[in-house]
Amino acid sequence: MTRRFLLSASLADPALADPAVAGPVLDQAQAAGLDLLLLGRAGAVPFDAQVLAAWAAPRLTRMGVVPVIPPRLGHPFHVARALSAVDYLAGGLLGWNPVAEGEEPEQIADLVQATRALWDGWDADTLVIDKASGHYLDTHKVRASHYEGRWYKTQGPVNAMRPLQDHPLLVVDAASPFAVPGVDLAIAAEGQSAPAAARLLRRVTLTDDPGALADAFAQGDIDGIHVDLAGASPELSSFAERFAALASPAPDATGTLRQRLGLPLPEILSAPVNASVKESL
Amino acid sequence: MPKPIHLWAFLQGIGHYPSGWRHADADPRGVFTMDYYRKVAQTAERGCFDAIVFGDQLQSRGAGGRTPQRLAMPTLDPMSLLSAMASVTQHVGLVATVSTTYNTPEMLAERFGTLDRISGGRAGWNIVTTAHPDTAPNFGETELPEKSLRYRLAAQTVAETSALWDGLNAQHGPSPQLRPVYVQAGQSNDGRDFAARTAEAIFCPAATIEDGIAFRSDLRRRIAEAGRDPDGVKIMPGLSFMLADTPEEAIARDEALLALADEALCIEYLSESLGFDITSYPADGPIPAEAIVAGTILPAADIARALEKPVAQGVTLGAFASRFVRTPRGHNIFRGTPEQMAEMMIAWVEAGACDGFTLQPAFMASELEMFVERVVPLLQARGALRKAYPGTTLRETMGLTRLPSEMAA
Ligand SMILES: Cc1cc2nc3c(=O)[nH]c(=O)nc-3n(C[C@H](O)[C@H](O)[C@H](O)COP(=O)(O)O)c2cc1C
Repeated sequence: MTRRFLLSASLADPALADPAVAGPVLDQAQAAGLDLLLLGRAGAVPFDAQVLAAWAAPRLTRMGVVPVIPPRLGHPFHVARALSAVDYLAGGLLGWNPVAEGEEPEQIADLVQATRALWDGWDADTLVIDKASGHYLDTHKVRASHYEGRWYKTQGPVNAMRPLQDHPLLVVDAASPFAVPGVDLAIAAEGQSAPAAARLLRRVTLTDDPGALADAFAQGDIDGIHVDLAGASPELSSFAERFAALASPAPDATGTLRQRLGLPLPEILSAPVNASVKESL
Repeated sequence: MPKPIHLWAFLQGIGHYPSGWRHADADPRGVFTMDYYRKVAQTAERGCFDAIVFGDQLQSRGAGGRTPQRLAMPTLDPMSLLSAMASVTQHVGLVATVSTTYNTPEMLAERFGTLDRISGGRAGWNIVTTAHPDTAPNFGETELPEKSLRYRLAAQTVAETSALWDGLNAQHGPSPQLRPVYVQAGQSNDGRDFAARTAEAIFCPAATIEDGIAFRSDLRRRIAEAGRDPDGVKIMPGLSFMLADTPEEAIARDEALLALADEALCIEYLSESLGFDITSYPADGPIPAEAIVAGTILPAADIARALEKPVAQGVTLGAFASRFVRTPRGHNIFRGTPEQMAEMMIAWVEAGACDGFTLQPAFMASELEMFVERVVPLLQARGALRKAYPGTTLRETMGLTRLPSEMAA
């Protein structure tokens, strides 16, 4: 597939929890051609972004939403359930960006691995749903993961399906870095050490030069850009005016985010890290 | 003019019958799509329901070690479903069951605070303490706290969460209801006292009108003793229903649907609910009542009472289990015509057995649609159900006492 220039932005205005604000902002963000909208950002989480992502789910036509989740708002068992639901409701247009708020990076990595272990307790083809035979699911495809990390222990199986995308896109921000395998997207400023990831977004501002960014993309240095917006209006219009052309012609907006961005399927089942993901029961 | 009836729609996957998903009109794969939840939520709103309610658990059924996989029914997180449904509706309330034992006050304050804002003031919180022992290992613990302690901790968690809402309301401006409507569903003495002090609405089982009157009178007394106005708390027992043009047809529809249930699986569900393994007893044999009463983790007296009639009637274990799974908490089961159902509902409310009903459709969307199309207009014609929503918040919709600071806001 042809490589695509990715456009991402974050909004951390508490007014986003007001439906009269959030509705038009989502429309505007999608019209601006954004591939990803982060709800909150490292250092600014003024709402429960998992709730807002669920609210946004039925309104998404092309854009992915990425709730920013600090440990105070997300135990792995709750996060695994919430994100599984939103991934289905959004038709696979979901990512997530776990961030520290003073915690050690290792705790965030632990949170991510525990959540993934719960998702991996369900195979993608668990459901049979055959009305004629009365066979609902294949019982051999559900497992307790018995995850034991330093901060989080969770047995499973979680009472939630494996997400539509297997795992929602994992976004790591260099402003709150942590190390786990299989990161889908990293956000980092130029010159900043970027977490290892399948795709790299450069953190820029609304005054950066689109030409230079197009060059960096052409040379394979970056896969797109990310802007932390102070507010939705007029910043989203400025964003579109300045950067939308980088991503043109607009690609087909079908399939899940993982499919559209050509990202690999998660491999955690075969490579559990820093924990024992046992098949038991 | 009859007293007003409040309606809640209790949603759960494809519905409440263990075999509902097998009905020709059911679309069981739909429960993983937004289209299904949009349709169901908008149907409830069309029927002027006060709220959509979800129960919730924090474990996969049967994960304790016995035949786990067979029981593990995947579900989607209700808080997320309600948040998404808020996006496609205007008025209907959104009540989420969330545990005080396995959430911090901060998680509770942020989740419900955000839901109340983004829904324009439609959030409700069914405050549960989590009773299933399999939950603890999912949160790195070995055991649940004992019940009285759980309720004491719950009171503390609610108080701390409430203080956090005050802070958030000061910081970001007031959310429309300031805090979610408090709902409770405990049955024990501790549970009822907690409800009397805290709840604005109560979800409970009431198999008969007499059960309803007894429960509601008891709760109203406790509420008054706690220094609160009993009229400020709505009692909403569950109601399982099956409609048809004649009573005989309704019973036949019910039997036909139950016949599709996997009896062995229902016996496993029953074992799981009882906390006692009865899977070794034959499905076509008698109900092992003595063993169950001796072994269950549920209140033995309640279970003994629930078993009396089926044992006397010689119901087989398999048939009992599939009927049990349809409404495990012993709710009222109605089978009959729309006219009979409307009469029954009005009679219960008039008799003081309840303030409304928590409807548990056998499967959706069609059974909920049938209620909205055939029973709702009858209730409205009798003046027992409003034809439009009186306001915007759940507290207004339920006719609940508004919080003092809500009126100032
Ligand atoms: C009608 C009804 C519905 C309930 N729904 C839930 C639920 O969805 N999730 C949950 O954890 N507990 C639920 N409960 C359990 C209660 O909150 C409580 O934990 C349990 O009944 C034990 O307390 P008790 O002895 O006071 O009743 C429900 C209880 C009743 C009566």
